[in-house]
Amino acid sequence: MPFLALEGIRVLDVSTDISGPYCAKMLADYGAEVIKVERPGSGDTSRQSGPFTDNIPHQEKSGLFLHLNRQKRGITLDITNTNGAELFRKLAAQSQVIIENGAPGDMESLGLGYQALSTDHTDLTMISITPFGQSGPYRDHQFTELTIFAMGGAMHREGLPDREPLRYGGEVAQYFTGTAASAATMTAIFQAAMTGQGEWIDISIQECMAGHPHQIGRRLPYIYGGETDPRKPPRLTAAGSREPYAVGTFRCNDGFVSFLPLGPRMWPNLTRMIERPDLQEVDRYQTTEGRADYREEIEKIFQEWFDRHSRAEIFEAGQSEGLPCAPIQTTGDALENEQFKSRDYFVDLAHPEAGVLTYPGLPFLYSDMPRSEPTPAPTLGQHNTEVYGDLLGLNEQDLAEFRVRGVV
Amino acid sequence: MISDKSPLSGVRALELAEIWAGPYCGALMGDMGAEIVKVEAIQRIGRGPIHPNPDVAGYPYDGPGERPWNRQANFNAISRNKVGLTLDLGSEEGRESFKDLVSVSDVIFTNYAFGVMDRLGLGYEELRKVKPDLIVLFTPGFGNTGPYKRFHSMGMAIDALSGHSALRGYPDMDLSNNSLVHHPDAAGGVTAYFAICAALLYRARTGIGQFIDLSQAETFIPHLGEVFLEEQMTGRPRERRGNRHPDMAPHGCFPCAGEDKWVTMAIRNEGEWRSLCQIMSMPHLADDERFATLSLRLKNQNALDDVIRQWTSPQDNYEVFHLLQGKSIPAGPVFDCGADTLEDPHLQARDYFQVVTHPDAGTYPMSGPIWSFLDYEHSQASIEHEPIQREKRHEHAPLLGEHNAYLLGEVLGYSDERMQKLEERQVIGTVPLEGADMGGVRRVQRESR
Repeated sequence: MPFLALEGIRVLDVSTDISGPYCAKMLADYGAEVIKVERPGSGDTSRQSGPFTDNIPHQEKSGLFLHLNRQKRGITLDITNTNGAELFRKLAAQSQVIIENGAPGDMESLGLGYQALSTDHTDLTMISITPFGQSGPYRDHQFTELTIFAMGGAMHREGLPDREPLRYGGEVAQYFTGTAASAATMTAIFQAAMTGQGEWIDISIQECMAGHPHQIGRRLPYIYGGETDPRKPPRLTAAGSREPYAVGTFRCNDGFVSFLPLGPRMWPNLTRMIERPDLQEVDRYQTTEGRADYREEIEKIFQEWFDRHSRAEIFEAGQSEGLPCAPIQTTGDALENEQFKSRDYFVDLAHPEAGVLTYPGLPFLYSDMPRSEPTPAPTLGQHNTEVYGDLLGLNEQDLAEFRVRGVV
Repeated sequence: MISDKSPLSGVRALELAEIWAGPYCGALMGDMGAEIVKVEAIQRIGRGPIHPNPDVAGYPYDGPGERPWNRQANFNAISRNKVGLTLDLGSEEGRESFKDLVSVSDVIFTNYAFGVMDRLGLGYEELRKVKPDLIVLFTPGFGNTGPYKRFHSMGMAIDALSGHSALRGYPDMDLSNNSLVHHPDAAGGVTAYFAICAALLYRARTGIGQFIDLSQAETFIPHLGEVFLEEQMTGRPRERRGNRHPDMAPHGCFPCAGEDKWVTMAIRNEGEWRSLCQIMSMPHLADDERFATLSLRLKNQNALDDVIRQWTSPQDNYEVFHLLQGKSIPAGPVFDCGADTLEDPHLQARDYFQVVTHPDAGTYPMSGPIWSFLDYEHSQASIEHEPIQREKRHEHAPLLGEHNAYLLGEVLGYSDERMQKLEERQVIGTVPLEGADMGGVRRVQRESR
């Protein structure tokens, strides 16, 4: 199913965990030939993180690894070993892109920095993803999703005013950064195709989150008037919304639904949705200010209707009135969702160890481009023979020697 | 930013987009040197109200001013590095000028609702007739096909359907206490940039253009990939975690001295736990029978959090951050998007903010591009032996219709007389018409009838 926009672009993905591998996955989904380079023995760190089949840790059954590394071929190589570094240099000479997310200076210390690798290979691009970037006072600092999310600026306004700030679900800062890194990589690939000049690109997770549209949109009001956009009660969180009785998430008879009416012009639509157009005639509800003053009273009327209806009924009624709204789904609900089904979005893939699983599909579709077949994530070192044979001309005997020395 | 050496210089893209996802894509492309034409209309603006309350927030120091549409913070923040054109696409002349512009453009992207472009006679097939190798991206929230294609969505609706909302919030409170989160807008905007850029490469190689069908929901779901697999692998949906983590403890957000000041920390292993106990001057805690192993700390996490909270409460959050990072333990203050971010010494040292002067909204710092190209040749000579980022510079957001003369006159070669006529007939202009801020002049007329 991948599209072949990047056919012929070879990528060495020597990164671990989420940000780098997701960047490489984007490139693989759109036709690049991605070679996942893992440490012999343990492999990518994500092989040790869950979720695992039946909760039993197994390095070939990590959901995180399986998701992030689909559509890649996998080899093992110890780049910290002199022989291994030499093999990596030879692979790099035949590649257009290297993706790494080690600590700043790690690649240089192995003789594998951008300058060394690009000397005779000016169209090479290297993506270096770190929590804080390649320079500055925090460049050697440690991170997890929680701590870097906190320093990106989104957490402070998330949650209730009288409680601690909250992070988002999942590992979204690292995924967002991986997506930004793929966009940056794509820029450099395009430039190299046009001019022959590659790039070394510095990606900081903190800067990706601090440059997120919702942060930059709130920073200017601070600069102007000192507004810091503190945590607010749930009905008051949508900046600028003036119909607070209908803003946020509501319980209904089989779960929860979220609403964001786009201002006062949606008051009639809201009343029609709950089958109470008569509310439009009530004097105290005539103005935006009136509805704000009596919002608890109106919210009760809404809640009564929600209590009698299901997520699907409310979704349909809200959408037919033009109201931005949606049911809160679990991932299992989403797998069964009619919209994603109608677009054949999710993909079933069989993995030799983990079996058949349903994976998220492609982030977007092209109209006029050839496609290829989807493949599952590689088992550790699965493509050693193929990759080392085809690219470096190594035979089984060479590989056996490297294996003994712990290189592959 | 825009220079001949920028990677996307020479690429012209027409942006028909509002709010965040589409405009963010345009801002990122502008950062990389593409000429982004923000196509607006004096009949409908997405720049806040025409007559805002004089003391409303979100405008420069002295209030909304005479031309609030040029001074609105949200618009000015997301519209960096773009040129501004007004064109009434509801008129025949406006559509004709638009097609003229299409003939000299490479890309058109929009996050308008499904069907809007087709109703204007500007659907993909029509546009392709004007320029066969055009790259066109339409991104309604749920994609251009399927039962939801006409649905009204904001980032929050995608957050709800994708499975993310069900993972958020305080685990001890139900979901009706959740805030609305529009993060999928951002994921969609960056993915749209990638999609356009890969299509530009493909076009350079083959001469073939593309229609790109981007569902913001489908761009965001892969960001939760392992959660989708977890439900299948374990038979249960993931439970909400709040700030906690199944394999780390302590792992949370703790109060510090000062109003609404917090620090986060994540203890990844036994070594870091022992270090933390040393830092807190409570070495005995490391072997405390409630906290001696990870499984004990997870089991007794409420008591553990109480201990940490007592230690952090009287301290400065930056101090805790430095103490822990000094021992290579992940920690970070919770930054607000105001002073904490703007004055952070690290972001300052990395030259993350660039000062922009806007003709109608004054001088202010703007966040940098979210990635940097490094000038590695010079980095070898730098005193700190740190890589140096290439110089970057933002252009201010365009005024309404600021570049009408440049685009119609210089680029398309329209005569002054022709442009004057367009202005007289309100096809172009620099001042929004009454009702343009209420969902559009025509909508207001329709509804008042």
